[in-house]
Amino acid sequence: MSHFSSTYLSTRLSTFINRLVNFERLVTLIDFDLDRIFLDVSEITGHDYQLDTTNTSRIETQLVNRALDDFQILIRSFSGSERRFFYFAIRWFELVNLKVLIRGKFSSIDNAEIHKRLVDLGSFADLPIKKLLETDDPYEMLRMLEITAYAGIVRQARRVYEEQGNDLFLLDATIDRSFFIDLYRRASFLNPADADHLAVVMGSLLDRINLLWLLRYRFSYGLSAAKSFYLLTAVGNKLNSVELMRLAKMDSIEEVIAALPNPYQKLLSKVETVSEMETVMEYHSLSVASDTLNSNSSLVSRIFSYILLREAEVRFLQAIIKGKQLGFDSNLIKQAVGAAI
Amino acid sequence: MWSTPIPMKKVSLYMVDADAQQSAMTLAQMSVIHPLENQDNNQLLENYPAAPFFSVYHRLNLRFGKIASFSKQGFEHSVVSTDIVTLQQLQKLDEQLKRLWAQVSDIEEQLRRQNEALHVIRQLSDSLQKFTALDLDLSRLRRQGNFLRIFVGTVPLGNFSQLKRALSLTHYMIKSFYSGEGIQHVVVFGSSQQHEDVQALLKSADFRALKIPDEFSGSPSELQANMQQQQARVVETIGELKQKQTDLLLENQPVLSEVHEVLISARPYASLATVLQGRGGLVSLRGWVPAHSDQAIKRQLEKDLEFPFHVEFTAPEIDEFDDVPSLLKKSWLLKPFQNLVTNFGIPGYKEVDPSGLFALSYILMFGMMFGDIGHGGVILLGSLFLYKRFPPFSIVGALAGLSSIFFGFIYGSIFGYEEIVHALWMSPMHDPVKLLLVAVVWGASFLLIANLLAIRNFLATGLYQQAFYSGKGMAGFFFYLAALYAGYQVFTNQPFGWLESLFLMAPMMVILHFQWRQSSAGLFERVLVVFIEGLEHIISNVSGTLSFLRVAAFSLNHIALAAAVFSIAAMMDVVGHWLTVVLGNIFIIVLEGAIVAIQCLRLEYYEGFSRFFGGKGKAFEPLKIEF
Repeated sequence: MSHFSSTYLSTRLSTFINRLVNFERLVTLIDFDLDRIFLDVSEITGHDYQLDTTNTSRIETQLVNRALDDFQILIRSFSGSERRFFYFAIRWFELVNLKVLIRGKFSSIDNAEIHKRLVDLGSFADLPIKKLLETDDPYEMLRMLEITAYAGIVRQARRVYEEQGNDLFLLDATIDRSFFIDLYRRASFLNPADADHLAVVMGSLLDRINLLWLLRYRFSYGLSAAKSFYLLTAVGNKLNSVELMRLAKMDSIEEVIAALPNPYQKLLSKVETVSEMETVMEYHSLSVASDTLNSNSSLVSRIFSYILLREAEVRFLQAIIKGKQLGFDSNLIKQAVGAAI
Repeated sequence: MWSTPIPMKKVSLYMVDADAQQSAMTLAQMSVIHPLENQDNNQLLENYPAAPFFSVYHRLNLRFGKIASFSKQGFEHSVVSTDIVTLQQLQKLDEQLKRLWAQVSDIEEQLRRQNEALHVIRQLSDSLQKFTALDLDLSRLRRQGNFLRIFVGTVPLGNFSQLKRALSLTHYMIKSFYSGEGIQHVVVFGSSQQHEDVQALLKSADFRALKIPDEFSGSPSELQANMQQQQARVVETIGELKQKQTDLLLENQPVLSEVHEVLISARPYASLATVLQGRGGLVSLRGWVPAHSDQAIKRQLEKDLEFPFHVEFTAPEIDEFDDVPSLLKKSWLLKPFQNLVTNFGIPGYKEVDPSGLFALSYILMFGMMFGDIGHGGVILLGSLFLYKRFPPFSIVGALAGLSSIFFGFIYGSIFGYEEIVHALWMSPMHDPVKLLLVAVVWGASFLLIANLLAIRNFLATGLYQQAFYSGKGMAGFFFYLAALYAGYQVFTNQPFGWLESLFLMAPMMVILHFQWRQSSAGLFERVLVVFIEGLEHIISNVSGTLSFLRVAAFSLNHIALAAAVFSIAAMMDVVGHWLTVVLGNIFIIVLEGAIVAIQCLRLEYYEGFSRFFGGKGKAFEPLKIEF
């Protein structure tokens, strides 16, 4: 990338950083009604969100599309392995749709209902959503998926689903695992300086995912230590494969927490449930991303951090919309987004 | 020379719902109505009576499409039944196709599994080949001991290292003995105590075990034969499944054929799902029809509909022009040029269809730029030769060839030779300046005609202010005329007095004033916009005119290329000379011919169409029976 492009991107990134809604601000917004929330969010982000309280899926789509448009601005100047890495990273949004589709079809949910749960990704969409929805049975849909860009992920997921007693939760986990392994592999093709900086923020993200899945596999599903370890991405920052192998052999959640390296042991020492751990770990990985974003780290790692933070912002706002739409109490929504911990 | 789209009328048909489907069939057979969706959210007619029908039709159509893609039989219907298709009939067929698709899909799933099994057998067979050189009794691998378990098989390359680490947690070892095609051929061994955990782990890692049959007790080569049998069995199963699928489809061919016919008949009514609105047994259908067909429509409906109906035809109001579809007048000769015009955009309802003008100017410019009797003749013959395969392309080619021949006589050029035929006017090389002046005059005339057409289009669509005051309107026309006159005076060293200056400035002031009134920005931005727009108008007129210099430039280029070919040929012996002349001429016809064709198109699109042609019309898409 030329010096000019790099300077241009740094400037664009700085403007985007100023438009991120920080978590504390988001939490204070929960107490207001949706109109006021989106008035404030529009003011902070500079995006003119059009709220239609009768159809909130439109605002959810707007949130995702605006984020994808901003990502596009940041990544289009890249070429080669960086470009491929970023385009793959933002496939995460489509993976959410993929999981909704597979879950929906296997659970025999009505097409109209599945469609409601999908997010319109506009020009970023690779999946032939309409055709997939029109399939008559889940296996027909899987066969169709096996000729898309997600063929590899889908094949793995199908195998696990069929061999592990048709468990949709494991199917989701396999899809996530395949995605993160591929993302990690693509990161290894970046130039060494970028890869080193990226390892910090990506490692923290993978630590979070690996630890939570390890706890679920071992203590919710009762899988063996070896199989639990195998199903992890096993390439983290503090939790590398040796650490994960050691943790997989533990017999209780408490033992695992006690054996965790710092800062995770300190962070999780007062936490009791896996869902609380999920929240704490997520905030930790986002704070690492935030530190990277505001540091002199490489442009690639800062943009990746921005993508993580923006994705979290979209997710939090979607959770608030859902909560408000269902008429939940503000405290319940705060709990759902983890603000009550 | 030019025409406008065929006049339209808006039709509003009110009928009882029992006649709705028949009316759709009647109108589809006549191919005269462009259905119009109600955009006023008519509260009185709140129901969409064709919506349930469309829903079943859509499902049936999808299923038919899926099944038909597996069928080797065609579905040809040249005549369609005019019988009305009922919702119950559609539902019944949909149920039949649902069951049929479930069977086809099931066979497809089995085929997928068999193909995967075949793939695995081939991989394992490869794996086994690595053992054939060893004198090893493989039945020992089947006889698992009390203390030791051994698994032989394959694992995907990407899963190997993670599996290796995971196995170390179970005190098992994994050893790869061969690697290829994205898989590792491995042996896994360890203590019998944890073999269940290990088996579950291996499954997750997509480990495919080499299964040794119970009756087997021999060397690797014997097992290889056994695997070949397995492979043959799977291949046979695949063949059987394919045959089963073919038989199933053949057996159901009559049903599929019936569905195909029903879908054709049901389509007109189904496609009106968002158009037909009704309430309490009353249904309304709106659309646009060619104005001249109103009485024929009324007569046909009177003949076909069972119950009384009311139909009214109204001419479109000026504010509806944007919604009226454009049906262009058909002409066999102009069809290929119409295609090129609609490639740029569809003429608006009241806009001029420039196909005729486009055809004439395109053909003339091509001839001017590529004037050669011989080259034109080759293009003409080539186009006639290809007529059956590419009719539209051939018509354009033949006319361009004729034009080239005509200008060939004007320039006195045949296959680049300028001495054989006497020029009716002159060769471009003899007076290039004169030719350049002719090109400028041609360009100026072209732009003036484009300007007049723009004025005509503005007036026809009620945009009177634009017609009089804008840069594309009369003010722009007079400014351009004055500018041409000014240019002529300057180049001929004649005086350019205050009166001429006034004629130049006055229309420009009108254009700027119009821009000023159109802009609603702040003072500074308004001044800036008006200044830039004015400047842009002057520059576009100058550049547009000069753009036509390429007409002369390419005719000179044509001669220059021929001269280059002859110069090279002159350096050769007799055979080389004629070979160079022939190849050189082919090169000129193919390469320069293509460039000239593209340049003509560019002049038409960018210098012509962009000045008067909006191209934002909607194509007339009638409801019709589609086979």
